[in-house]
Amino acid sequence: MNDEGRFGQYGGSFIPEILYSSQQQLLKAYREAMADTSFVQQVKSEMQHFSGRPTPLTYCANLTQKIGGAQIYLKREDLNHSGAHKMNNVIGQGLLAKRMGKTRVIAETGAGQHGVASALVAARLGLECVVYMGAHDIERQYPNVFWMKQLGATVIPVSTGAATLKDALDEALRDWSSSYEDTHYLIGTSCGCAPYPEMVAGFQSVIGEEVKEQSIQQFGKHPERIYACVGGGSNACGIFLPFVDTQTELVGVEAGGRSGNPGEHAMRFNTDQARFGIAQGFATRFLQDDEGQLQPTHSISAGLDYVGVSPILADLEEQGKVRMTSANDIEVIEAFKLLTRHEGIIPALESSHAVAGGLKEAATMSPDEHLVINISGRGDKDIFNIAKALKDEPFNEFLHSYLKEEASQ
Amino acid sequence: MNKLTSFIQEQRQTKPLLMMTHVVYGYPSIEKSLEIMQLMLESGVEILEVQFPFSDPVADGPTITTACHHALENQPKLSQCLKDIKQLAQRYSQSRVLLMSYLNPLLQPGFASLAQQMGDNVIGIIIPDLPIDHHTMLAPLCKKEISPIWLITPDMQQERIRTVIKHAQGMLYCVSRSGVTGQQAPIQDDTKAQNIQSYLSTIRKFTSLPLAVGFGINTASDIRSLKGHADVAIVGSALLNAFNKGGLESVAVKLQELQP
Repeated sequence: MNDEGRFGQYGGSFIPEILYSSQQQLLKAYREAMADTSFVQQVKSEMQHFSGRPTPLTYCANLTQKIGGAQIYLKREDLNHSGAHKMNNVIGQGLLAKRMGKTRVIAETGAGQHGVASALVAARLGLECVVYMGAHDIERQYPNVFWMKQLGATVIPVSTGAATLKDALDEALRDWSSSYEDTHYLIGTSCGCAPYPEMVAGFQSVIGEEVKEQSIQQFGKHPERIYACVGGGSNACGIFLPFVDTQTELVGVEAGGRSGNPGEHAMRFNTDQARFGIAQGFATRFLQDDEGQLQPTHSISAGLDYVGVSPILADLEEQGKVRMTSANDIEVIEAFKLLTRHEGIIPALESSHAVAGGLKEAATMSPDEHLVINISGRGDKDIFNIAKALKDEPFNEFLHSYLKEEASQ
Repeated sequence: MNKLTSFIQEQRQTKPLLMMTHVVYGYPSIEKSLEIMQLMLESGVEILEVQFPFSDPVADGPTITTACHHALENQPKLSQCLKDIKQLAQRYSQSRVLLMSYLNPLLQPGFASLAQQMGDNVIGIIIPDLPIDHHTMLAPLCKKEISPIWLITPDMQQERIRTVIKHAQGMLYCVSRSGVTGQQAPIQDDTKAQNIQSYLSTIRKFTSLPLAVGFGINTASDIRSLKGHADVAIVGSALLNAFNKGGLESVAVKLQELQP
């Protein structure tokens, strides 16, 4: 039995046989690359010079005072090039694809952040880029689609199934089944068959490594708690993994959505609607019905709207090394408003889940305790959804007059 | 001897090539899908492959994926599917019935219960997202003489082919090309036909198990070119496309056209 890529009972490789050779090739190339110091150095250099790392650890004096509990810090992944942590992973995989001699990358995307990041890296490295995106997500996140196209990527709408992230992932796998000779499948989260969970979490771990150093520098110890939103789980893996088995408590915040009813949230933990399953190439906790059919999900943030979760997080949660909680759509908007007003930082709706989870618990902690919230991305991309959630009338008027002006030209 | 292997070998005494056709259970409705199966069995198809639909069929192309998603709206149950197809297998005892599905729906009852439910009538299983490395998961099926049918692909390394053959039973499912089900015909011209023939003769060197060939078999000429090189031609999307175009009647016409 092939135990490669197992995390407890989760992970592994459950892919159609046609992909076996290319998966083996990728495994080998990844191991070789990571053992090659010049490759590791190249990744580090790109992260610095292309994406602007290290990202700051920002103290929130106003919110800390307002809440009156733990000292609140933010890890600023929103300051990466492209505006999200997704950049860390695409730099690593993009360079790996190039090293493997591939000329084309394909990617799946939910919110569009990973699609944009893939398109940026592909443009920089001279790779052809095709992005699969759920038709429903395209409607919610057109500005990201617009940028992908400007960067030279082809965006293919996926209208099968629920037309969201899981369907985009299926479609990318289908593409890879016939294109593996010249194509690297650039998965955006720490899911999928081996070595993707390990590889993506590995490239993202730069987040937690930096927090380790920065926390010592800024407040003389590691934080008592770290909060991260959990969709597929790449930003959470990135900030958590360097802290596993330390004194720091790791808290994942899932999308509580509109309610706990089936199809109205994207929680894979703390609900009997999710359990062990094998699909999309790997084993993890999936939201599924009695017949094992994967279920539709909902979240106010497209990036957390995923039916499965990183096998690494499923395993850590089972071992009690990560605690999972959730924030619903209303709490998320409130958290968004708090951070924006009091700290002058506009978080993505995904990251606002982590903010909601962190602020809720900060009040119950003491002022000599420190917590770090991972701001995985910035909120500019969410302008339409947030304007809608805040019922901002002038925004609608702006859209109307914009369209009217277009029509009259 | 293995039930499926001996059936194929017996049939091959008098027929140059057998036909295995594919139906998605529950598409367009459960009742209608059973009618399609019945039509195929009536027309003398030797092997019937029934796909229990899954929400995320990653090895399937657009035709079958769309059919699966439609089928799921009818909320098919695996236990009922097995009851229904067992009945067909008993009624059409001159043919054989196989189950195809992805891992997750099959994990729900688990393989021990599945073996029980498949009984003596559904004699083989195809699971496209289960790699050979996990063959021990299927031990409860093997114990009941239900054959796991493993896939062989065109660019497979010899060592991997040997591993598959070591565990193979019943027959081998030789995928004719890369990609997913449906899509363009693989055997459009002589070169392609020759490629596939040499691929099959390579596999033939490793095993005496019957060879079934699938993925993109659409036309009578596709079928003709397999004669003498394979034991079974697998037709899936082509029949589904025929059904989508003109219902049962078109399926009957297509079956007639493809008759080896």
